[in-house]
Amino acid sequence: MRGTLVIAGKELRGFFASPTFYVMLFLITLIMSYIYPIQLTLFNQMLMSYVMQPGMPQQQLNIHYGLFLRLLSYLNLMLIFIVPALTMKLIAEEKKMRTFDLLLTSPVKSVDIVLGKYLAALGAILGIMGVAFLYPLVTASFATVNWAPLVISFIGIFLVAGVYAAMDLFCSSLTESALVAYVMSVMMNVSIWFIGLSAEVVDSQKARQVFEHLSLNTHLAGLVEGTVRTSGLVFLLSLVILFIFLAERVVESSRWRA
Amino acid sequence: MIEVRDLTKDYGPHRAIHALNFTVKKGDVVGFLGPNGAGKSTTMKIITGFMAPTSGTARIAGFDVFESPLEVKKRIGYLPETPPVYTDMYVRDYLRYVARLKGMEKNRIEKSIDRAVEKTSLGDVQKRLIGHLSKGFRQRVGIAQAIVSDPDVLVLDEPTVGLDPKQMHEIRELIRELRGQHTIILSTHILPEVQATCERAIIINKGRIVAEDSIANLATLEKGRSRLFVRLRREVGDLGAVLSDIDGVMGVESGSSNREWRVNLRGNEDTVDAVSSRLVSQGYGLLEFSPSKVDLEDVFLKLTYGQSRGGEA
Ligand SMILES: Nc1ncnc2c1ncn2[C@@H]1O[C@H](COP(=O)(O)OP(=O)(O)O)[C@@H](O)[C@H]1O
Ligand SMILES: [Mg+2]
Repeated sequence: MRGTLVIAGKELRGFFASPTFYVMLFLITLIMSYIYPIQLTLFNQMLMSYVMQPGMPQQQLNIHYGLFLRLLSYLNLMLIFIVPALTMKLIAEEKKMRTFDLLLTSPVKSVDIVLGKYLAALGAILGIMGVAFLYPLVTASFATVNWAPLVISFIGIFLVAGVYAAMDLFCSSLTESALVAYVMSVMMNVSIWFIGLSAEVVDSQKARQVFEHLSLNTHLAGLVEGTVRTSGLVFLLSLVILFIFLAERVVESSRWRA
Repeated sequence: MIEVRDLTKDYGPHRAIHALNFTVKKGDVVGFLGPNGAGKSTTMKIITGFMAPTSGTARIAGFDVFESPLEVKKRIGYLPETPPVYTDMYVRDYLRYVARLKGMEKNRIEKSIDRAVEKTSLGDVQKRLIGHLSKGFRQRVGIAQAIVSDPDVLVLDEPTVGLDPKQMHEIRELIRELRGQHTIILSTHILPEVQATCERAIIINKGRIVAEDSIANLATLEKGRSRLFVRLRREVGDLGAVLSDIDGVMGVESGSSNREWRVNLRGNEDTVDAVSSRLVSQGYGLLEFSPSKVDLEDVFLKLTYGQSRGGEA
C-alpha cells in the first residue's frame, strides 16, 4: 500500500510537471471549444424548428441529450487516443531505461507497482475530465442544467476511461517501446468499443447478447443517459480488475525471467 | 551478512554460474573480480532479489532472498550496471523518491538525502535535472540512490565502468569513504579497482570461484616467489645463461631493451644476494636492482585466463 502511494505520487507529479500533458490539455480544450459552439447552435436550431413544427421526440429537446451527450461522445473519442498517450510510457519506458531494476529491487510488490501507476493514470484522466466539465459549468450560467444525469454521465465516461487505462497499462507492460505500447493500446480501445458492432451482424440471439454485453458502448449508453445499472458497473469494474491483474502478472514474471 | 550457498543460474541451456559459495561478513568490503561474462552481474542480481536463482540460496542479514524478498530489499542498496535514474527528475527529488520506495521513515528522509548528497559530492547539482548531468555525475547519482536509504549492504555492479580516469579515481575514493558504514560487495573486471577499494577479493571465472582471500594473501598466493627488476649499463645478450647456475633462479625475461631484465626467483634472500654479486662481479654496470613481489595482476591473469605474464618454466 505504501509502495502504491509512493509510486502513484511520483507518476502523478510526473504528469502534472510535464509540458506534454499541458499541450494535450490545451489541444483537448481547443477541440472542445470548437465543437461546443457548433453543438450549441445545432441545439438552438432544433429548438427553433420544434417551435415551428411540433411533434419531434421530446427527448431530443432535453439539453442533456441535445448538447452534453454529443460533447461527451467526442470526449470519449478523444480519450481513446489520449489515454494510451498517458499510459504508454508508464512501464515500457522503465524497462527501456533500466529504471525498472530500481522498482524490482525495492521493497514493493508487483501489485504496488501496477496499482500505483494505474492510480496516477486515473489522476491524469480526472484532470482532463475536469477541463471538459468546464463546458457544462459555463452552460449553467445561461441555461438550466439538470446536474444529476450530467454528473452520472461524466462518471460513466470516467469509468470507461478507467477501462482504457487498465488495458493500456497492460499494453505498456508488454513491451519496451512506448510507441508499440501506444499502437497496441489504441487498437485495444477501439476494438473493445466496436465489439458491439458484431451484435448487429450475427444471427444467433445468444451471440448477439454476448457481443452486446462485451460492448462498452452498451454499458456506457446506460450511464450516459443518466441511469446506473449494476450489471454495467460490474462489467466495467471487472474489466479493470482483469487487466490490472494481467499487468501484475507480466511485471511479476519479469522477476523470474532473465 | 551475505551468505551464498550453491548458487546456480541457468539462462536456458547456458549455465552462467555454477554452485557459488561465499560469505561476506558484516562491515567487509569485498571485490567480486572476474573478466566479462564471468557471472558477476548474474550473482549480484540474485543477491539483490532482482532475479531468482535456478538453485541454491542467498541470505542477507539472515533473510532468504527468495522467501522474504521484501525484508532483503529493505536492507540493500543496489547500483546496477546501468544507473537506474530518471532523466526527467531532479537529483534531489529522485533521491527522495528512492528513499520513500525503500520505506524510510518520513522524518529521516531529508537528513539521509543530505548525507548521500554530501558523500557523493552532488551538492552543486542537486537541483539539476538528471538528464542534464554528465555520465560521471549520473554514476554518482546512482551511488547516491544506493546509499540514501542507509542500507546495511551495498551491492555495486561495475561502479566505474565507462568513466574517464579522473572520474574513476573519484568514485574509488568515494567507495573507500563508505568503508565501515556498510557491508560492501562490488564487482569489477579491473584489478586495480579491487586493490584500491577492497580488503578481500573473490575471483570468479566462467561462473566458478577460482580464489577467495584477502588482497595481501592473494598477492603472495604462490608462496616464496618473487621477481627482481634489473637495469644494466651494458647490453647483455642472454642474462639467463649468466645466472642459470644460481640455485633458485627460475628464469629471466628481457624488458624494453637488452639492458633491462626481469628475473623470476624462488627462494630466499641468499638467492637475491647471489644474483646481485654475480651481476656486479661480471662488470655489467648495475644501475638498478629492485625486488618486487609477484603482483596481483599475474595471479589474476593466471587464475582467469590460465596464463601468467611471466613466461617462466
Ligand atoms: N539475460 C541473459 N540471457 C542469456 N544469457 C545471459 C543473460 N545475461 C547474462 N548471460 C550470460 O551469462 C554469463 C554471465 O553474464 P554476467 O553475469 O552478465 O557476467 P559479468 O557481469 O561478469 O560480465 C555470460 O556468458 C552472459 O552471456
Ligand atoms: Mg556485468
